[in-house]
Amino acid sequence: MLSIKNLQVSVEEKPILKGLNLEVKPGEIHAIMGPNGSGKSTLAHVLSGREGYSVDAGSAQYKGLDLLDMAPEIRAREGMFLAFQYPIEIPGVNNTSFLKKALNEIRKHRGEEELDAIDFLSLIKKQMKLVEMKEELLKRPVNQGFSGGEKKRNEILQMAVLNPTLAILDETDSGLDIDALRIVAGGVNKLRSADNSFVVITHYQRLLDYIVPDFVHVLSNGQIIKSGTKELALELEERGYDWLLEEAESKA
Amino acid sequence: MAQLTNNFSEWISQQVDSESSFAFSEAVRSPSLSKLTHGVFPTRKDEEWKYTPIGDLLDTRPGEDTTEVLDLETIDELKQAMPSAHTIVFLNGEYSQEYSDSHTALRDSGLSISPLPQLEGTALKRAEDTILESALTDDNIFQHIALGLSQNGLFIEVNKNTECQTPIHVIYINTARGVTAFASPVNVIRVANNSHLKVVEQYASLGEAAVITVPASYIHLEDGAGLDYYKISVENAATNHICNTSVRVGGSGVFRSHQYLLGSNLTRSNLEVSFTGPGAEAVLRGVYLGDDNQHLDVRTYLDHAQPHCSSNQHFRGILNGHSRGVFNGLVLVREHAQKTDAQQSNKNLLLSRDARVDTKPQLEIFADDVKCAHGATVGELDSNALFYLQSRGINKKDAALMLTRAFAAEVTQEIDIDSLRNYVQDKISTSLDEIVIPSV
Repeated sequence: MLSIKNLQVSVEEKPILKGLNLEVKPGEIHAIMGPNGSGKSTLAHVLSGREGYSVDAGSAQYKGLDLLDMAPEIRAREGMFLAFQYPIEIPGVNNTSFLKKALNEIRKHRGEEELDAIDFLSLIKKQMKLVEMKEELLKRPVNQGFSGGEKKRNEILQMAVLNPTLAILDETDSGLDIDALRIVAGGVNKLRSADNSFVVITHYQRLLDYIVPDFVHVLSNGQIIKSGTKELALELEERGYDWLLEEAESKA
Repeated sequence: MAQLTNNFSEWISQQVDSESSFAFSEAVRSPSLSKLTHGVFPTRKDEEWKYTPIGDLLDTRPGEDTTEVLDLETIDELKQAMPSAHTIVFLNGEYSQEYSDSHTALRDSGLSISPLPQLEGTALKRAEDTILESALTDDNIFQHIALGLSQNGLFIEVNKNTECQTPIHVIYINTARGVTAFASPVNVIRVANNSHLKVVEQYASLGEAAVITVPASYIHLEDGAGLDYYKISVENAATNHICNTSVRVGGSGVFRSHQYLLGSNLTRSNLEVSFTGPGAEAVLRGVYLGDDNQHLDVRTYLDHAQPHCSSNQHFRGILNGHSRGVFNGLVLVREHAQKTDAQQSNKNLLLSRDARVDTKPQLEIFADDVKCAHGATVGELDSNALFYLQSRGINKKDAALMLTRAFAAEVTQEIDIDSLRNYVQDKISTSLDEIVIPSV
C-alpha cells in the first residue's frame, strides 16, 4: 500500500525528515507518535503533496506508484486522503457542492459514473450519521463558522464520502474534547476494512484508546526510532518520550 | 485639461449644432450645451480621473447608424435574466416599441413608464425638475453629453403607496457592426411616498464594433420609498461606457443598488447618493470583472447629509490579464448627520501579475456621534484553500475557479431576484471559465 524508504525532506534548506522508513500494508492501522518538532506534520504534508517541501533523497511508493511525483489531486483520486490538523475555511464555497465535486472527480478517475444531486445527497446523509454532524453544516461554506470539533468531524465526513484506500490523519485529536474524540474515532472505526489502511499521526496516546493501531512508531528528529505494537503507545503514555530519546542517543 | 480637439469631441460639437429632436427642453439642455461648447474632457491630471485614461474613447468617432435587424432569439436570451419582468428594449439608443412590453398597460397600477420623446406637459416638467434638483460632485462632461444630446431614455414614475410587484427590465442593445455607435440614454426615476419598485438596467452589444455609451440616470425617492436598482453590463470588448447616476433618498427611504460590470473596454461608473431626509438607508453592491486590457472604474459618493441614516457598501473586483480596476469611494458625513452608520468595503482579487487595482476608500466625518468603518484589500487566491481543494481531488484550475466564483458570490448572493442572481452568477462563471489562470 505505502512504502517509504529513506525519505529525506527539508524545508527552506533545514532538514526535517532524515531517512524515514515505513511500510503500510492493506488493512493496517499505523500510529505515528512523537514529540513536537519531530517531523510528524511534515510527513503528512509531503505525502499529500503540499508545496514548500523539498525531497532530498528517498522514495515513497503508493500502490506501486511514485507518490512524490503525483499532483495532490491525483493522489486524492488514487484514493489517498489527508485529514488536516487545521482544516481550511473556504468562504463562499458550499460544503455540499464542494464534496460532490470532489467525489465526482474521484469517480471519474476510477471510470465510474458521476453521482447526481439526489444520489449524492442520500450518500452524504447516510455518512453524516457516522460523525453525528448537524445537517445545517452542509449548507454552510466549507468549515466557515464551524467549531473546532465540527471541523474535524467534517474531515471525517469527507473521508467517509470519498472512501479512500489510504487515509492519513494528521493530529485529528488535537483540540477535541472527549466526546468529539469518541465520535471521530467511531467514524474511523466504521470505515476500517481489510482493504483500507490508516496512518494516524498523534502526539497523545488517548486517541489510540479509541482507534486501536496494529503498529506504533515513534518519530524523533526526523527518523523512526522505535516501532512496536499498541503496547508501545501505553508505555509512552506512562513514561513519556524522554527515555526513548535517550536510548536513541546512546545508540547513536 | 485638454481642449476639444479630438475625433470624439469634434463629433460632439457637430451634434450640438445639429437639428435632431432632443429629449429635453432648453431649461435642461442650455447649461449642458454651453459646457459642451466650451467643454473639456478630463485628463489624468484631474484627481477624479487620475487612474482612468479615456484616450481610447476620445480617439473614436461615431459613424452612421448601421442598425442590424434583431431577432427575437437574442432578445429572449437577454430576457432570461428577468423572465417575468416588464421589459423595455432600446436598440442602438432608440426606444423599440416592437420589442418592448406595452407601457400603457401599466398606468392603472400607479406606475407609469414613458419613453422620453413621448413626454410632454407636466410629466416632462416633473422629469426635468428631477434632473435639475440633482447635482453631481463629479460634474464631468459626460453628464452634459447625456443631458445636452440625449434623444431617448425613460421616465419611470410611481405614485404614492404603490407596491410594484413586477420589476422593470430595461435592455439597451447595440447592434453596430463596423462603425462606432453612440448612445446616451437618460433615465429618470421618481418613486413617491411609501412606494417600492425594482428596476434592472442591462447593457449588451451584439456586434463587434466599438460603442460609446454615455448614460445618465436621475433617481428621486420620496419619504419612505424604496428602489432596488440593478445595473448589469455585458457589453463587447470595444465598448466604452461612462455613466453617471445621481440618487436622492428621502426620509426613511431605502435605496439598494447592484452593479455588475462584466464587459466593455472601459467602464467608468459614477454613483452618487445623498440623503435628503433622516432615517434613510443605502445599500451599494457591485462586482467588476476584468480581463485582457479592460479598465473598470467604480466611483461612489455617499452624502450623509441627514441624521440617523445608514449606508453599506460592498464592492469586489476580480482582475486578470493586464486589466485594471479602480475603486474610489467617498463617504461624507456632515456635521449634523449624527447617528450615522456608514460601512464601506472593497476587496480585490488579482489573478495575474500584470493585473492592477487602485482602491481608495475615503471617509470624511464632521459629526461626532457616528459609527463608520471602511476597508480595502488586494490579494491573490489563498494557497491554503487551493491546496485543500486539490487534496480532495479537484485540479488546480478548477480549484482556482471555485475560489474565484466564491469570491464574487459573496456579493452576488445578495441579489434577491432568483433569475437575475442565476444570470449574473452564470455570466461570471462563464467569463471565468474562459480566463486561463496562469499564475496560480
